Amino acid sequence: MTILRSRLEQFQEKCAAVFRPELRKNKELECSRVSVKNGNALATISALAVLGLATTTGAFAQEKPVAGAVAEGSLKDKTLTFASFGGIFQDGQIAALKEFVDKSGVKLLSDGPTEIAKVQAQVESKNVTWDVVDTADFPPYVHCGTLFQKLDFTKIDTSKIPQGQVSDCSVPAMNYGVVLMYNTEKYKDNPPKNWVDFFDTEKFPGVRGIDGSGDFTGGLLEQAFRATGGDPKAMTKDDIATAIKKVHDLGGDTIYWKTGAESQQLAESGEADMLMMWTGRAMTAVKNGAKYTPAWQDWLVVMDQLTIPVGAKDPDASHALINAYLGKSAQEILTKETSYTPINSEAKPVVDDSVAAFLTNTPERQGQGYQQNIKFWVENFKDASEQWAAMMAGG
Amino acid sequence: MSASDAPSERAASSRRSWGPLALALPALVLLVAVIGYPLATIVLRSFAEPQWGLQNYSWFFSTPVNLIVLQRTFTISAWVTVVCIVCAYPFAYAMTAVGPKVRLLLTLCVLIPFWVSGVVRTLSWVILLQDSGVINSLLRSVGLDGVRLIRTQTGVIIGMAQVLLPFMVLPLYSVMKGIDLRLVQAARSLGAGPVRAFFTVYLPLSLPGVYAGAIIVFILALGFYITPALLGGPRSTMLSTLVQNQVLSLLQWGRGGAMGVVLLVATFILLALAGPLMRQKHKQGAR
Repeated sequence: MTILRSRLEQFQEKCAAVFRPELRKNKELECSRVSVKNGNALATISALAVLGLATTTGAFAQEKPVAGAVAEGSLKDKTLTFASFGGIFQDGQIAALKEFVDKSGVKLLSDGPTEIAKVQAQVESKNVTWDVVDTADFPPYVHCGTLFQKLDFTKIDTSKIPQGQVSDCSVPAMNYGVVLMYNTEKYKDNPPKNWVDFFDTEKFPGVRGIDGSGDFTGGLLEQAFRATGGDPKAMTKDDIATAIKKVHDLGGDTIYWKTGAESQQLAESGEADMLMMWTGRAMTAVKNGAKYTPAWQDWLVVMDQLTIPVGAKDPDASHALINAYLGKSAQEILTKETSYTPINSEAKPVVDDSVAAFLTNTPERQGQGYQQNIKFWVENFKDASEQWAAMMAGG
Repeated sequence: MSASDAPSERAASSRRSWGPLALALPALVLLVAVIGYPLATIVLRSFAEPQWGLQNYSWFFSTPVNLIVLQRTFTISAWVTVVCIVCAYPFAYAMTAVGPKVRLLLTLCVLIPFWVSGVVRTLSWVILLQDSGVINSLLRSVGLDGVRLIRTQTGVIIGMAQVLLPFMVLPLYSVMKGIDLRLVQAARSLGAGPVRAFFTVYLPLSLPGVYAGAIIVFILALGFYITPALLGGPRSTMLSTLVQNQVLSLLQWGRGGAMGVVLLVATFILLALAGPLMRQKHKQGAR
């Protein structure tokens, strides 16, 4: 037994690199060579067995995952399918995952666009082809445990993610804002300052443009409720109708844009006087010469979410992808490619001023941001979604 | 049509039906596989989810917005059909009246937009129709007030009519090119003015084309999604958008299925009502 223990210690020492990512590079080969050199297959096997036991009992508890770390060759001959929303965003995500692909040896397939109905169809038919899915804000909360599996946070390093953005079933995929953009030529010396002004059509006449691309935006409804004199923090189920009516009361010429591109086009052509816009699109519109500027007060914090569907083929590999995605350099690449805000607080992407102006991770922006009450909207998702859809259908 | 020749006609057609049916087999197999099976699933789910029963249908008919949108879907489709007839009829006639070279040009005018993706065409309409768009700029440059076209039902109808125009022009042309123009000449020689000759001779003969085109356009229009979504506002939302919301965002496959079934059944009823009328007119026209 003492012999075994000493061999085990030797083995642990030699192989620590495998389990400690910062030492990992090029140490693996050496490690396996050591065990072969020992020549004592039995001892090696027993050592491995004990090692396995030790890992599960917590002897290696200090070996926490590190965001961005990838075990060399760990996913050789495996295939992962990553589903997202397409466009430059997904291209940027794939670029951010290049290091993960190169190191782990995984074959990464890109699919999409994400639709929760497709996830449901895959889960129900027990044929899940998406290994990691980038979704909008609410789905991982609404379908946690049913369509999306609870994440194993011993395999994902969440320590660098901004606070309050990790849920049982998701980590953020990026950060961006929904921001109030206004036409500087129209409002000149008396610009709107926040969403309450946005909803005040008497003091601030003009055409409004609102995100009608899909589901309701909880943050906007909370701000609409605030504009009726209510307290968004104390919103009840009955107040949803009040908030939606406030949006409806903006009037018949309100534009509900269907795509990000449309919102950008509305700004560039000057069709709307005040626009609710995604920061990425707002940035591009301003870059293209739109005479619009943001009112940052209470900009709505939004993130896409990374999830793993229930019944995914290889959850360990899916977790490894997510952990790599959250790394510093991956996030820097993502921001450079997409202009969205990184979700690793250590990431220092080099971007030009026009992009930097719309990043939301500066202390000033963090102070101005407004976080919607996710719990409330998840509880009342069906009601709110139906009422919003009815309003959008002109009912 | 006399009462006596109908049964004999029917008997003759049933004797002849088996051979041609074999020819239709490949298409039938494909239709059953890619339309029949999914359709059956949709119908089944509309009754089976979340529990067995009629809950999805009672929900549909007790929710005011569904009924408003259903009615609107039929109204918009009817308008699109009318606009298509008005635009396509003279165009198809012109195609029969001109020489082969010009006819080729006119055919290309119909078909080239048909080969362009619907999304691209719809986005082009956005550029044309928007408040600061081409049409409004032209109106303003001649001193007229701009009109709101985008995000209105008018805008949606214009955009959909353009997308669907080939489906009206082609059936019309194929019927019109078979009309013997000497019949019109005969009418003229017997004293009918050009207007009368057109309405009593040419128009009735071309009606089968009008009906065929109208049915295709109307049915296609009922299921439109992208064009009303991009050119329309809340007051021009069509049923497909509501189906999309139920299925993709609320995961209510049963409700979405029920909406589809209601639309399908309503279409069948409408066609069944219009069918005898058309057949009647058709026969009159053929005489």
